[in-house]
Amino acid sequence: MKSPSNLFSDFKTVMYRNYGENPGKMLVHTGVLGWILSSLAQVSAVVFNDKISPQQKSFLIPQEAADAAINILSFYVITSSFKNLASKLVSTGKLTTKPIKEGLLKIGIRPADIGKFNFNIDNIPHVKKDYKPFKNGVDVIASTIGSIISCNIVTPVLRNQYASKKQKEAIAYMNVNKQQQQLKAPKGITMADYQKLSAIKYSGGSLKI
Amino acid sequence: MALKVNNTNTSLYQGIVNTYRNAKSKALDLLPNAEYSSEKVIDGIKKTGEKISSAEQRLILGASALMSQPFIDSHNRNVDEETRKVSVARTIAKIIAGTTTGYLIRKGCIKGIKALSQIPAEGVSDIKTIFTPKGIKDNTTDSFVQYRNAMGTVVALVVMMFTNFIIDAPLTKFLTNHLVKKQDDKNNIKENKDEIAK
Repeated sequence: MKSPSNLFSDFKTVMYRNYGENPGKMLVHTGVLGWILSSLAQVSAVVFNDKISPQQKSFLIPQEAADAAINILSFYVITSSFKNLASKLVSTGKLTTKPIKEGLLKIGIRPADIGKFNFNIDNIPHVKKDYKPFKNGVDVIASTIGSIISCNIVTPVLRNQYASKKQKEAIAYMNVNKQQQQLKAPKGITMADYQKLSAIKYSGGSLKI
Repeated sequence: MALKVNNTNTSLYQGIVNTYRNAKSKALDLLPNAEYSSEKVIDGIKKTGEKISSAEQRLILGASALMSQPFIDSHNRNVDEETRKVSVARTIAKIIAGTTTGYLIRKGCIKGIKALSQIPAEGVSDIKTIFTPKGIKDNTTDSFVQYRNAMGTVVALVVMMFTNFIIDAPLTKFLTNHLVKKQDDKNNIKENKDEIAK
């Protein structure tokens, strides 16, 4: 088994290899990790709160978990889609710069091939100097636009719809509980008798379970 | 004996993959080619990749969130007016608290990692190279700068697991109450003025 210092060394190497040349990917991955950690904090705040009854927890924990799933999924799907699309546009040469295109033509690439789906500048070493910083810049811009759309537009709209649905369910749930409490038999009368009496009252219809 | 079936070799799977690939290829062909020739634009894009770390991204997200999220919450017709008012106040408070702490902690951790990821040399203490990956000889390359940003962000996320409770939650609560009170005071003044006018 590896020692903690070796594990830490491996971790640094993995970080350097994965994100050193790909800041756009780093922004997407750390963004997702951030959402996961903040969602864990929200869920654990409910789990470890003594003031919340177990009954309420059984309702609030799935609600927080679903909220977290909406946040994480919408962030990952939208942001990574934007980033992947931008990467594809740059790597195929669909979105490029004059120096990169000139570099490609100079090494004998046919103009008709540039911008085609199967064309990949990542596999051509000679244009790397101009190409890599441009690709990283486009990736970062796309990731940022994707995260703005997901965090500030899509997620709040989805979350509001979900929260209002849950609020209605919670109100209905509390009303049922309240009614059940009201149905507790008063002293000197059995529950069955109380239900019978309440059913024949004019306003007793709503008390039926 | 259990049979191993490789689903990726089936004709159905290959058919789906090819169709998907063709669709993507055709969609890409529909887009016009774009070529930037302005030095200013190209430099701007390159600099964005170099300079924008997760801290700056958090700041951009916070600023744009202030423009969109309160508007979305204030137009949520699925809840009553009182809930809407508190929800807008809470959203603004959350954005202010989250962006401020998120930006400062990320920035601080990235700076901290920079200080603790020096190139090993004589006179450089071991602690200052604790975050330097093995075999790195040059700390000025773009890859190394991006590595520092990534490592700083990961450390910041761990720190924020605690500051979420210690700073964000109480600050959000305080700001929400302050904003709700401000809104109530404003409404009271307006109601009083209307009554006097009558």
